[in-house]
Amino acid sequence: MMEREKTSFSGGRKYSNDEITVYWKPDACVHASYCYRELIEVFDPGRRPWVDIKGAETERIIEVVNMCPTEALTWKWNDEKKNKDISIDQTNHIKFRRPELMSTDEQEIQENPVSIKIMIDGPVVIKGDFTFQYSGNKKEIKEGIISLCRCGASYHLPFCDGTHRKIGFEDK
Amino acid sequence: MTDMESNEIKKPLTIVEVIDGGPLKITGNIILKDLKKDITDNPSEVFLCRCGHSGNKPYCDNSHKC
Repeated sequence: MMEREKTSFSGGRKYSNDEITVYWKPDACVHASYCYRELIEVFDPGRRPWVDIKGAETERIIEVVNMCPTEALTWKWNDEKKNKDISIDQTNHIKFRRPELMSTDEQEIQENPVSIKIMIDGPVVIKGDFTFQYSGNKKEIKEGIISLCRCGASYHLPFCDGTHRKIGFEDK
Repeated sequence: MTDMESNEIKKPLTIVEVIDGGPLKITGNIILKDLKKDITDNPSEVFLCRCGHSGNKPYCDNSHKC
């Protein structure tokens, strides 16, 4: 029973070595198969338990977990201090994929990053939770999306209205 | 305090500000992706061109003042 508590979290299981914990959420798996094609020593669907966290070096496990296209496999450092300052190329670190698995204190510091996309020869699309200020207005946006003009020619500034196409706006 | 109580909705920390007659200022926890230049970055502050005249797009280079 003790063992079960150690290896479970709501929605899945977790596996730890000295350095990292890997979280597995079966409902999120789309069977892209990167994990076992890349690292059968750790991720073997024919074995129980299917994850053997001692089967490879930590660095290699992180590399393969980051390949998972969904949130089925995510990871974090056991040393919480190292989780604060994590590089965005660590795509499946829980800070970016599963912030709900961080402690409440951690979540306060590291909320989901807001996505800023510079569209090709088009607007800037901003997605997430943020405060939006324009012409004296102040709005709290929750899980929202806005598209702002970058060409300067929109009739509905600051928002994009598609005019960039008519004027042939191009990023150089 | 229980976990439930401390888990109240947090105010967003990221601020997107349209500067009148100027660029778009964004500060906070962001991931910036430029799809044309294929660049990904997470600066804590960025000024993006809104006038279309910057020589350093997507960033503002103060061309709007010209």
